Formats: sequence, C-alpha cells, structure tokens
Amino acid sequence: MPYEDTHTSTAGSIPAAKLGGARKAAEPGQNAMKRLQTELMQLMTSPAPGVSAFPSADGNLLSWRATIEGPDDTPYAGLTFKLSFEFPSNYPYAPPTVLFSTPIYHPNVDFSGRICLDILKDKWTAAYNTQTVLLSLQSLLGEPNNASPLNGEAAELWDKNPALFKTKVMDRHKDLEDD
Amino acid sequence: MFQPPERPAFLQPGSGGYGIAHSLPEFTFEETPLGLSGGGGGGYGAGSGAAGAGDAGPGSLLYTSPIFSTTGSSVGPASGAFHLPFHHSTSPSANTNTPSPASSSLAHHHLHQRSSPLSSSSSADMESAHDVNAQEAAARDYQPNLQGPLVGNRIPSTVITEAYAKADPVYVAKTMVRYLAGAPRLLLLPLTQAQMLPQTYSHYRPIQGDGNCGWRAIAFGYFETLLSLGNKAELDAERQRIESLNAFIQTAGGHPDYVYQPMADETIELFDRLSAVFSSPEAAMTELLDSFNNAEIAGAIIYHFRLLAGAWLRGNADSFSAFITSDLGVSGYAEATIERPNVEIDNLGIILLVNVLLKPVGFVLEIAYLDRSAGSEVNHYRFPEEANRSHPSELGPTIHLLFRPDHYDILYLAGPPPPPPTTVPEVDLQVHRVAFSQGYEIASTPLHSYADELHANPLALIPGFDAGPPGLNTVMGLGTPSPISPFTASPASPWMSTPFAEPMPQHSQPPRAPITVPTPISAQPPQRHQLRFSEYCQLPEYRDTWREPAFQTSTFKNSHFNVAHYNNPNFQPEEYKPDADESELAPRVGSRKRGSV
Repeated sequence: MPYEDTHTSTAGSIPAAKLGGARKAAEPGQNAMKRLQTELMQLMTSPAPGVSAFPSADGNLLSWRATIEGPDDTPYAGLTFKLSFEFPSNYPYAPPTVLFSTPIYHPNVDFSGRICLDILKDKWTAAYNTQTVLLSLQSLLGEPNNASPLNGEAAELWDKNPALFKTKVMDRHKDLEDD
Repeated sequence: MFQPPERPAFLQPGSGGYGIAHSLPEFTFEETPLGLSGGGGGGYGAGSGAAGAGDAGPGSLLYTSPIFSTTGSSVGPASGAFHLPFHHSTSPSANTNTPSPASSSLAHHHLHQRSSPLSSSSSADMESAHDVNAQEAAARDYQPNLQGPLVGNRIPSTVITEAYAKADPVYVAKTMVRYLAGAPRLLLLPLTQAQMLPQTYSHYRPIQGDGNCGWRAIAFGYFETLLSLGNKAELDAERQRIESLNAFIQTAGGHPDYVYQPMADETIELFDRLSAVFSSPEAAMTELLDSFNNAEIAGAIIYHFRLLAGAWLRGNADSFSAFITSDLGVSGYAEATIERPNVEIDNLGIILLVNVLLKPVGFVLEIAYLDRSAGSEVNHYRFPEEANRSHPSELGPTIHLLFRPDHYDILYLAGPPPPPPTTVPEVDLQVHRVAFSQGYEIASTPLHSYADELHANPLALIPGFDAGPPGLNTVMGLGTPSPISPFTASPASPWMSTPFAEPMPQHSQPPRAPITVPTPISAQPPQRHQLRFSEYCQLPEYRDTWREPAFQTSTFKNSHFNVAHYNNPNFQPEEYKPDADESELAPRVGSRKRGSV
C-alpha cells in the first residue's frame, strides 16, 4: 500500500538518528580516509622522483605536508619547497587546498602561497590524487601559466628578464625548519 | 462542438496584458522581495481589460488549487473589481517570453535555493564594485546555500504550480492546474492549451540542486524503479551487472581501482542493504531514501555513476565524439563535464548514463522540460531515443524527471490511488465525474475549452485517439499510472490501476490516422509493469459478466469523457469522419450496448 505516505507524513525531515543508524561507514570523511590511506600507500611503495608527501605529525589524515624539489634547468633548481595539503571531508569529490608553505616567487603563486592551478579548482576530478597534484605543481615551476598570473611582476620578468627573475626567486626563498 | 482554438491572450503580441479574472484578487499573493508589484512585474495585468481576460469562453481555464482561498461562489468572469497590486503592463514584451527579473527569479524559487556569488556579495562590495580582488575573494569563499534534503519526500506536484503561479505566464500555462478532484477552490484564468502538470504527474520528489541533481535524480529513480518492480531476482541481477562494470571502468574509463573501488563499493553495499530488506517495501524505500540523503553514500554512488558514464563515453568514443562540440576531445570532455564533481548532467551525460545504466535493464527515462520555450505545453523527451517512437504501453518501467532550467526533480505519474480493489472503478470514475461537473458548473462552454486544450485536434475529441498532448489523458482521467510507482500498483490490487492505464490503443506518434479496429490488448503478454487488466478482461468467465457501471447522470454516462466503456472487451472506438456532423458522432452508445452482451 502507499507506504510512501508515511514518509510524506514525517514532514520532510529525515531523522538524524535514522541516517546515523543506516550503516556504519556513513560518517563524514570515512571514504576520504579510505582513499587517503590508499594514496599514502602508493606514495610510499612507488614514490615519484622529486616529490613526497606525508600526513602531518598530528595524525590527522586530512592534513598533509609535502615537498617538491625544484626541477633542473629552471630558476628553482636546487631549491626545496614545502607545501600543505588540506583535504576536505568529501575528498576526492572536491580538491584539496594546497598552499606553498615555503615563500616562492612564481607567476602563479601569490605571496600567501596560494596557487593558481586549474586542477586544484574547476578542473579537479576524482581521478587526480596527491601525487598527480604534486607532479603538476612541479611542472608548473618550470612552465608557469603567464596568461593568468597571480604575481604579475613575476609573469613579466619570466619572459623579459630571466636573470632578475632568478634573483628574485633566490631573494624570496627561505628554507623552513622542519615542523 | 468544435471550435477553432483561440490563441491565448497573453501570447498575442500587442494584447494589453495578461488578465486575471475576478476571483484572483481574493487570492493573496505573497509580497516578495523581488518587487513583483513594481514595474518589472512580468506582464501581469489585472482585469478584463486584457484581451479575453475575464471571458469564460474557449480561452478560459479553470484553475483550482488548495492554496487559493477564493470561494467557489465568487468565481465568475462577469464582474471585476481589481485589487491586484500587480503592475498592469501594456507592453507587449511583457507578454512574451522576454525574461523579466521578477519572473525568472520566481521561477527558480523552488529550485536551487541558492543565490549567486555576485548577489551574495553585491551589497558588501557596493562601494568597491569593481574591486576584482574583493569579488574574487567572495567567489572563493562562496558557499551555496543549499536547503532541504538531498532527496526529498514525495509531495503533491501542485506545489510546483503554486510556486509558478506568480511567475511568468509561460510557466503559469505550463504548470496550470485545471482541477483537482475534490479541490473546492476554483479560479478562472484566460489560458488555453495549458499543460496541466499536476494532472499528468500527481507527485514529485524534490532533488537538491547542488550540481548533481540530474545524476542524483536518475540514480535514485533507478533504484526506486528496481524496488517498485518487486522482483528481488532482478535487483540481485542488477547488483551483479553493476559490479561487473567495475572492470569496464578500469579498461574503458582508464581509472585505477583505487579511484572507483570505494565508490562502486558504496553502490554494491546499497544493493545489498536493499536486498536484505526487500521483503518489506517500506523498509527498502526507507533504506533507499536514507542512503541517498547520506552525503557520504550518495556522493560515492553518484560519482560511481559518473565514472560509469565516463567509461561508456571513452569506450564508445567513435559513437559519441561527433556530439562533443568543444575542442576538448572525448577524454577532455569526460574530465571537464562527466567526471567533474558537482557539474550538472548535460544531454550527452544523460544519454551516456541511460546507455550504461538504464537501457540494459530496460528502463526508460522520460524528461518533461518545463522551460521558457515557446508554447504552453511541457515538452517531453524519452531516453533512449528510440523509446520516443514507442507507445507508452510498450515501454519498460519509466523514470520521469521534471527539468526546469538547471535543475531536475523526479515526477510521478498521476494514477488512480490504490483503494480497495472492489470499489476502485466506481470510486475513481466518481471522482472524475465530480470534477467535471464542477467544470460544467463554472465554465459555460466546457467542451470548447477542452478542445482548445487538446491542441484543437478534432481527433482528440474521440476516445481512443490521443493526439499527443498529455492533457488529453488527464482531462479524461486516463493518466497512465506510473509503472515504476510502487504506490499505484500495490501487490494487493495490481490489476486495479489498469482500467485506466491501458484502456485504448493510443497511437500517439501518428495521431492523425483514424483507426477502426481496436488493438487486441490481450495479445500483449503480461509485462512486468503490471498492465494486466486486459488479460483479466479477456478471461471468459469475466467476459460475460461485464456490466456497465451505473452512473448518476446520463450526461456523463454518454459523454466521451466517460471511460467506463473501455472496460468493455468488445469496445470499438468510433471512427472519426471529419465531414460528419455531431449527430453522427453519437453511435458510441450503440457500440457500447453491442459490447455489453
């Protein structure tokens, strides 16, 4: 019979107890944790050269620290950059928030360390992972997208005055202590 | 009997607005912050000054809704003091499809419930309106204000009409209620050819508009349909099929298992949970609704279906590459549209998902497009494409969606309620008889308005000829009960809904060809959508016992709106002769008597 009517009569609200009791794996972030554990395993078993990532020391799997080594033949050669990854609880359906912790002079990074990279914004899909993000950022160091800079001066100097660009990179760079 | 249709007054360029009959002023419109009462009110003219506005003639339409507080006694086209606060627009543009801010905002009143980033920040940035940084910051921090559950409960579709009653005339026409059985409130509105959404679809289920609504609606409809079929073996078979598609996601979609496995697992687990409680439809439905309202589970299932669609696209790239108009290519399109979280499903996405999810199990997706396209009728389209050529009775279980720009909700066909089996025919007919008697009381020339509604197709006046507009079915009380709905086809009385479900050979695709021989309905094997009335009807022990139900008025008894003769297995639809006058259309009674031996 019209068992749906019982739903209608509950006035549109789904009782929270029902939701919670529906199943065990339903807590927010459960799937994100599962996914991040898998990614951590992959990073440890098959690391990519020049990048690394690991959950931060406080044991929160949604918060990671990562490093990128500056690629050779770029102004960033020999430098190491630290980054922070904050994963949303609905990861991988939303991208992580990635910031440069190490000060960096780059056309697509602002002075707060925020990054302009399409796969971290509207091009994100669940097929990307921490490693692909790091590798994309590494290649961004050598091939900035000067068409949409966050740092306009850097975008200009990249083409016009590579020597000055390199100087600014070195001036800005400051190795962080390990946290 | 038949008059050429009048164009709706509000669609005529230059007509002086869009009139609302006398009774409307007693209906209290909410004052909206959108300034509906201001200049941009979207073309409402109050009063009979508009062409044909207060006229109860062919162009009139009975408007009933519980929300209208008008009493029936005041319904009348004759007089009119007009108290509406609406701006009486004399601009032709206000009567056309030109979007006006108020109407378009209202149109989305029940949709996404979210404001745009710009509007949320506009007041704060008033003095720095051109401050790009501030706007960027606002956009970055913008969180859509999403309200309500991810998948709501089934609620009467009149809610949609009520929401649109204040909106653009095009929307009003497309959502108009003509009457509701038992609804005491009546209004007259000068609308013709209105597609009456609530008549075709009795209920709808709101889906949250977070960018996944199309995916979510189809996914939910898929599971709900599986439940409604009442076949546990089919549910389990689908579980196996979906699980076997994991390999397809890997090979064709190119995704490693860590990407799709957690999501596919959620889908499979939902199958398992549904299977575990399958014996209780109520528990299964509760489980389904709860799961789809759990963001963790629903997000995984929806993305799983995105991956399935994306894999289908990549696996059939040759077939679909021509449909990708951007320069992204197949893979780029899949990443940018199909597999991108919170991006709404587009037409190609629907085709892909139907192909991979619904078509193999024989489900059909039918979408009613309630948009600002010209005309006063909701456009329908079915997926897969070939289903558009099929008669509704030949379709598999159908999922109905309502599309409003940028949003999908689930619709449920109006069907007879599932009352006790023995009394259903009379109860149902009684309901419609009452409804029509209201119509007779109010509208002086009801047939004319019906004719208008039926797109002025003379054939539409003949029972057995469905000219296509769903209005016909609904006017005649023949709304096909949704085969997917477990609520209209309860196991207790599975045959009860069918007298109205498949009463006649509707040739809706080539509607203009008269037919004289009724389709032998019994030839159709019993299908799983439970349209079994014909079979029942053809049983010898019942054939001779069929009796014409008693009706209370001869007017209705002899009316072609009376659907009772479809119960007669020997019923033959009359042949329409365009040149014949009305007297020759009469032998209906005779044929029915012949049949009732």
